[in-house]
Amino acid sequence: MEAMTIRSILQAIVHPRTVTEDLGPPPQVAADVPRLAGSLQLRHVDAGSCNGCELEITSTFGPVYDAERFGARLVASPRHADALLVTGPVTKNMVGPLVKTFEAMPEPRMVIALGDCARDCGVFRGGYGVEGPVGDVLPVDLQVPGCPPNPEAIVRALRGLTGR
Amino acid sequence: MSNLSLVITAIAGLSAAIAGCALPAKTRVHAAVAFTWGACIAALVGSLTVLHTGHAMVLNSSRILPLTGVTMVLDPLGAVFVVVTAVVAIASTLYWLGYASHGLSTRTASAALPIFVTSMLLVPAAGSVATFLWLWELMALSSLLLVLVDQRRREETRSAAQWYAVMTHVGASAILFALVMLSAHAGNQTFAAIRIHAVHLPAAVRNTAFLLALVGFGSKAGAVPLHVWLPKAHPEAPSPASALMSGAMVNLGIYGIVLVGDRLLGGGPAWWWLTVTAVGVVSALFGALHAATSTDLKRLLAYSTADNMGLVLIGVGASGLFATTGHPAIAAIAMVSALLLTVNHAAFKGSLFLSAGSVQVATGSRDLDGMGGLLRRMPITGAVFLVGGLAIAALPPLNGFVGEWLLFQSLLHGLPTSSTAVAIAVPVGVAALALTGGLTAAAFVKAIGVGFLGRPRSEGAATAHEVPRTMQLGAALLAGACVVLGVVPMIVLPALERATAAAVPGAPAHSLRSSVELRLAGLQGVLAPALLAAGLALAFIAVIAIRRLAQRRSHLRLALRRAEPWGCGRELQTARMQYTATSFAEPLQQVFDDVLRPDRDLNVSHLAESRYYTEKIAYRTSIGDVVEHNVYRPMIGAVNAWGQWARGLQNGSVHRYLAYGLVVLVVILAVIV
Repeated sequence: MEAMTIRSILQAIVHPRTVTEDLGPPPQVAADVPRLAGSLQLRHVDAGSCNGCELEITSTFGPVYDAERFGARLVASPRHADALLVTGPVTKNMVGPLVKTFEAMPEPRMVIALGDCARDCGVFRGGYGVEGPVGDVLPVDLQVPGCPPNPEAIVRALRGLTGR
Repeated sequence: MSNLSLVITAIAGLSAAIAGCALPAKTRVHAAVAFTWGACIAALVGSLTVLHTGHAMVLNSSRILPLTGVTMVLDPLGAVFVVVTAVVAIASTLYWLGYASHGLSTRTASAALPIFVTSMLLVPAAGSVATFLWLWELMALSSLLLVLVDQRRREETRSAAQWYAVMTHVGASAILFALVMLSAHAGNQTFAAIRIHAVHLPAAVRNTAFLLALVGFGSKAGAVPLHVWLPKAHPEAPSPASALMSGAMVNLGIYGIVLVGDRLLGGGPAWWWLTVTAVGVVSALFGALHAATSTDLKRLLAYSTADNMGLVLIGVGASGLFATTGHPAIAAIAMVSALLLTVNHAAFKGSLFLSAGSVQVATGSRDLDGMGGLLRRMPITGAVFLVGGLAIAALPPLNGFVGEWLLFQSLLHGLPTSSTAVAIAVPVGVAALALTGGLTAAAFVKAIGVGFLGRPRSEGAATAHEVPRTMQLGAALLAGACVVLGVVPMIVLPALERATAAAVPGAPAHSLRSSVELRLAGLQGVLAPALLAAGLALAFIAVIAIRRLAQRRSHLRLALRRAEPWGCGRELQTARMQYTATSFAEPLQQVFDDVLRPDRDLNVSHLAESRYYTEKIAYRTSIGDVVEHNVYRPMIGAVNAWGQWARGLQNGSVHRYLAYGLVVLVVILAVIV
């Protein structure tokens, strides 16, 4: 960072700039995943997670990783969402609500399975309350591996979708 | 020649009452309605003639009433009220044809309803104290009979009728004192003589007469704190009668205040009119607040009547105030706005009460918390209620908007010109008007949203069917009047100007210039209701046209997918999860907790095994009337206590009664000797 002179401070006031390191071009994603033009509204559903993934999501949208600067936002209703962000193995109690949430979203819609549990039930595989991975219930478009995936991984995945 | 219409009105009304009383059940109602229409049409023709020519219609007869005779003078001011009454009565009696099978075809009801209508048609034409009081009392008693129609089935009806009977007679006695005092001083009981003599009256007499008249007529108009009978009697009365009471009878209270204050006494000091304005402000706010929190549909409408009459009183008070401060032009506009608000209120409240009656017939209940989805099941009634609700919320292009716009204009333009009292009263009036407008809108969003949209919340609402054609038509007639008055108010404004000229001394002949747009003479205010309506209609058509065009082009076609309402992914969604009238009004109730003082009761019962598990939670909330609770209940309590004390005198012992006689005799002898 350059030296803080009065001149530089005034310049920063008149021409504010994003203070961030250069992250390089957005990562490439598989060709069958739909590409969005810079904006991605996410509805998050916890289908039975241990809340490890939730902590990382919170961090992703916190001040340090700040995924909103890449166009990804968490929204409060599936009616507003482009993509469904599912964490955890799908428990028997959450099958109905998860499907209802998916059906409440406008088309075109995507499903992101976040974390190992959402991908293949992880350590909960075979549990008496577990129905199966997200892929058994909904068509999954993108998977983010990790137990839990760290914020960098989540940001990378979201940047792949928003293209920013 | 022209007084023929008054004679025909009276005769037709009497024939309707006799027909309703004497004919067999099958033909009774039809005959009564036909004769009542005759009375209404005769009165309508007569009063329209008066409004057109501007000459009063006079009828004198010494043979009808013993001792006093009958004097009828129908001037333009009274004629406006006759026209309003006649139109509401035609719609309500049309509605009655379909409603009669719901307990309104008895001999008493069929006789009382025509008498009620006829007396209301004739009250504004009364030209002397005796005639006025006769007709006024006839109106009060016949409406009391109509309130009592359901008394065998419902306990509340009897209590409501008691309240109504007492309040209306307290009011009537105040009016009696006021008018008799004036006529005693004038030495003649015709209004014309009183008017001439009023200038020479001592101030104390004028003040007493005005205040008594304000109490008497204010109680009829539902002015707070004399409104307590209104939210009891209007809901309990059968719907055609409540429409008549709310659309026509309360107006006569306003007529009385204008009659005594402006016509008989010829205006008065500023504090009279400040009092009227203050009463209006309190009534408007109190009524609107209770309307916004009521869950009983007809009680909501009744409180909204108190609210609207408050607005009219603000107009009347402002008019008197501006007249005393020497601004007759603004006074005239304020009076026109008050009269227009009265006419408007009759139109929308009539249609609302009639459609609320249809809802009550169809669902068997008046409780909004048990309704829902009625627009789909009763499309015409629902549409009528929607029009009435939009009109009362003062949305353009309907009539409520024009009336409130005029009132706002008169208040705002009166502001920079006069004394301290006016400078304080007017902004308060404007603020009250604004708050009232918001609360009224909330009340009717609630009534329409909870009652007519969504899903049915009870068996009654789920199995509701549209009511007979005559009932739909009766309500639709008044809703049509709302639209017409909103788009072309110019058709009634010249008549209202004539009436204003009769009420406000020194009013300019044309305070409003109107062709397509409405211009206020001497003020900067222009409104073009027809253009506004045309603009709204064009915008509506444009949206539909764009949608149609978009659907024709395949790449713009809207992808339509029907999905159930989003309920946070809940598996089970029932009608009980919708907003109810109570929950919708809850935030308002919280904000105005100190004014409304709701009665809350929370009961939690636990399982016998463990107190950690609740078995049942019962929550009950009700909003009583603060005025009733804090003013009337103690009064009733005191009267009861006094009565109980007096019972001690009468213990059934003959010896004691003989002793009373002896004591009184001794006292009398002592006094005489």
